[in-house]
Amino acid sequence: MAIIEVENVGKRYRTKRGGRVLLGRGGLGSMLRGHRTQMFDALKDITFSVDAGESLGIIGANGSGKSTLLKILAGVTIPTTGRVIVHGRVASLLELGAGFHPMLTGRENVYLNAGLLGMRHAQVDAQFDEIVEFSGIGDFIDNPVDTYSSGMHVRIGFAVAAFVNPDIFLVDEVLAVGDEAFQRKCRQKIGELREQGKTIVFVSHDLGTVSAICGRVILLRKGRMITRDSPRETINFYLRQVGAEASIHEFSAGAIDVIVCDGRVSVFHKRKEVSAPAGFQVQVQSMQRWHLSMEADWEIVERHPDGCKARGRMPRLPLTHVWDLRIEDGSVKWTVSMECEENVSAEGIEVNLFLPTRYTDWTYGDLSGAFPELAPSDLTWTPIVSPDLACTEAGALPASGEEALAPVLALVTERKPYARVQWTNSDYVTGCRVLQVGGRVPDVDSPLQKGVHHFATIEIRFQSTAAELLARAQARREERTLTAGGLSAFFERGAVRFSYEDQPLTSDPHFYNSISIGHLWDDGPNLQWASAEKRANRIEVSGESRRFPYRLHWGLEAVAGGIAVDIAIEALEAFDVEEYHASLCLRPEYSRWETAHESGAFPDFDPSQDDWRHVNREYAAGTWAKALSSSLPSVMFEVTSREAPFRMTAINTGYHQNARVLQALRVPEAGPLHLTPGRHPYFRGIVCAGSEVEA
Amino acid sequence: MLPSWLMSTGFYSSTEQRRVRNVLRDLVRSRELLLDLIWKDLRVRYRYALMGFVWAVVEPVALMFILTFIFTRIFPRDDPRFAAKLLCGLVFWQFLATSLSEGTRSLVDNRNLVDKVHFPREIIPLATVGNCLVNLAIGFVILLIVHLALRGALGFALVYFPVLFAIQFLLVSGLTMLLSCLHVYYRDVGYIVNVAMIFGFYATPIFYELEMVRARINPAGWLYRLYVLNPMVELVTAYRQVLFENRFPDAALLWWPCAAAAVCLIGGVSIFRRQSPLFADQL
Repeated sequence: MAIIEVENVGKRYRTKRGGRVLLGRGGLGSMLRGHRTQMFDALKDITFSVDAGESLGIIGANGSGKSTLLKILAGVTIPTTGRVIVHGRVASLLELGAGFHPMLTGRENVYLNAGLLGMRHAQVDAQFDEIVEFSGIGDFIDNPVDTYSSGMHVRIGFAVAAFVNPDIFLVDEVLAVGDEAFQRKCRQKIGELREQGKTIVFVSHDLGTVSAICGRVILLRKGRMITRDSPRETINFYLRQVGAEASIHEFSAGAIDVIVCDGRVSVFHKRKEVSAPAGFQVQVQSMQRWHLSMEADWEIVERHPDGCKARGRMPRLPLTHVWDLRIEDGSVKWTVSMECEENVSAEGIEVNLFLPTRYTDWTYGDLSGAFPELAPSDLTWTPIVSPDLACTEAGALPASGEEALAPVLALVTERKPYARVQWTNSDYVTGCRVLQVGGRVPDVDSPLQKGVHHFATIEIRFQSTAAELLARAQARREERTLTAGGLSAFFERGAVRFSYEDQPLTSDPHFYNSISIGHLWDDGPNLQWASAEKRANRIEVSGESRRFPYRLHWGLEAVAGGIAVDIAIEALEAFDVEEYHASLCLRPEYSRWETAHESGAFPDFDPSQDDWRHVNREYAAGTWAKALSSSLPSVMFEVTSREAPFRMTAINTGYHQNARVLQALRVPEAGPLHLTPGRHPYFRGIVCAGSEVEA
Repeated sequence: MLPSWLMSTGFYSSTEQRRVRNVLRDLVRSRELLLDLIWKDLRVRYRYALMGFVWAVVEPVALMFILTFIFTRIFPRDDPRFAAKLLCGLVFWQFLATSLSEGTRSLVDNRNLVDKVHFPREIIPLATVGNCLVNLAIGFVILLIVHLALRGALGFALVYFPVLFAIQFLLVSGLTMLLSCLHVYYRDVGYIVNVAMIFGFYATPIFYELEMVRARINPAGWLYRLYVLNPMVELVTAYRQVLFENRFPDAALLWWPCAAAAVCLIGGVSIFRRQSPLFADQL
């Protein structure tokens, strides 16, 4: 049964409060002259009820109306609109020992104060000794109260209130006074009162105590009531907007709430916090030091019901962040720009979207996967997927038990060309998934010129379900997937994943190539890959080396019986190649190999072995190699280029990579291969998978 | 045992707080608190004075001696019972004057209570009145002693005192509530009351009698009509008729104080009750 009912309570004050004079401002004179006093809403439309035995916490910044609400509950004042009904005796500890008269003795004050709280003399007589004992005042009880220390004052006040035995306690910031021992005693007493089924309404800035004591929490903000599903969420919602009023803006539309607070954006969807406590932030690296947007001096320059514009002047950089946030069609649009007062030497800029670890799966462009668990040994941030400059969208999927948490899709719509999207696991202490948009500022853009730089516009969407996000990535994947019979090949930045009827055949690094130039191996996956073009049963994609002046052009084609791979190299200037290879890294289940010259079994992986070891003896040129397994279809790797001889070898990788490799290696006999500028054939081959299984 | 509707039920509704009809019920429910507050005021008033409660006796006696000295030695009167007559006026006037001037300020003085705790606000001005009642009782005993010392007789008419005093008490209570309520909103009221009390001391037959006024100014004139608008004029005269003439006072003297008391009480209580839930906002 509701013991306290608060219905549509509003409280309106004149702005000029306190006693007035007849003739001054706000007095008779102004009244006669027709000046109207300004009104101020201390509370607006507060509705809630408290059941008997429940503990309700009220939190909020100073001036948010907490004390006014408590005064109304205590019956000290009445609401301007709405009504409050209380079924039970109330003891308000609004200010302990409020009725104490300094000239009276402690004893007299106990009777008086208990009387004010609605207790009869006979009842006080019965409990007087207990009250004195609880307060710990001892013999001072017969001294006038003005000889008491402030701690004693509060102690005797609390003791009286605790023993008047009302049904409802209104507690306002009383535990802050008194020493630790007494505070502990008070908390214990409040615990006891709760167990006795007393109702407690608790107002405090001590959020720890509030969350420990209260089963329900109401947040007041500018006289309005905000509640969330659990005390923790309400408290978090409050914590996201602690700061100077000028630097905070809260806006909402539809199911989305956004709080911009001192260089940090917190986003809520359906009243659940999507962002991690750290929120969304921007950081700029200058002179080897990261400058966080939270260090800036922020001001909300435009406030709208569904958005805002904020400016944050960095303290140590001649740079001002300019953020524009808006909720449009159920998504949050965040435009990040910077205004440089002079040239700023910025080495890196990152927009960090911190998400809680309750997001367990990610999508990244057409890729998807699971975040690794954060472990206490994670002292640094670890990238989850290797960054792809072409990728502009990433999603986060909540763990399967977290239906309340919305899947997030972040789209980067406009950006500096070097701003890449990246998924990162933070260190263990920060404990977040971080979607980073940014990167190193390239030399052409450094230093940041004086003026306004639009860095990126990030759109955060909530419309899709987890399945839709995965399907979205899957659809993108189709763009780079070929199938031939049961065999399918998926091209991903310099590597091809092969699978047979959804069963992966290859393991990391899959099918890839590598070139040795000046005794340095340059692996295909390290190249800068453009987006793939798919035409019917052919995919074409090219990538440029970051280290050497060449480009690779891959052509994948589904042909009868397998996937043909055609790689050409385009030298941008003349250079020498010592050797190069194309390797097919297979799953460890493959146990036997065959080449044109010999055959054998792959040896077991040796835990002490960390490098790749050839398992065949013959290095004569060949055209094919084959791997067999008892559980997977056999794989045939055949070279179809006739321009140059390749050595076909079988290799066991190191223990940790745990893969069997069929490799086509080209070592020019007559010293390094000299490539002239222009396009040259590199490798052509075909990968087939058959139903043939190891005998 | 009190009927159940007078016992505290612990039910509170914010919309009930301004209902005038609840006043009596609320007052009975918190009668102990009222006595506590009166007791508190008394304790506080005389706490650090060496002579303590003795001052409650000394004050009116001293005032009587001063006035008696002035009006027997400096402005001599040929009335042997002048001291008693003076004291009779003085005691009842002082009750009104201190009740009003202290009661007016009582809400502001007790703002630490009004601001923090819920209880019927009427208790605070009433406690001040009750406090003055104690002084009145002491003064009344002194009055009787002086009266007997001056060879006065105590007759049967003494029983009329409570009737007359009931009128004065209701008048004072009503006025105190009205003024204390006004004082919360406009602090000028306290000063106005102080000035009015000084004026009232001379506009009330304390060191003179109503007959002297009648003899000097035309009873049909506007000045006299204005003069008798002060209900204390009639009340003091009535008190003296009871004490010194040992008879029921002239009925003509009583209708105006009764009417004034009724108006002040009804007006004071209802205005006070309407405003009292909001006092905490103004203090």
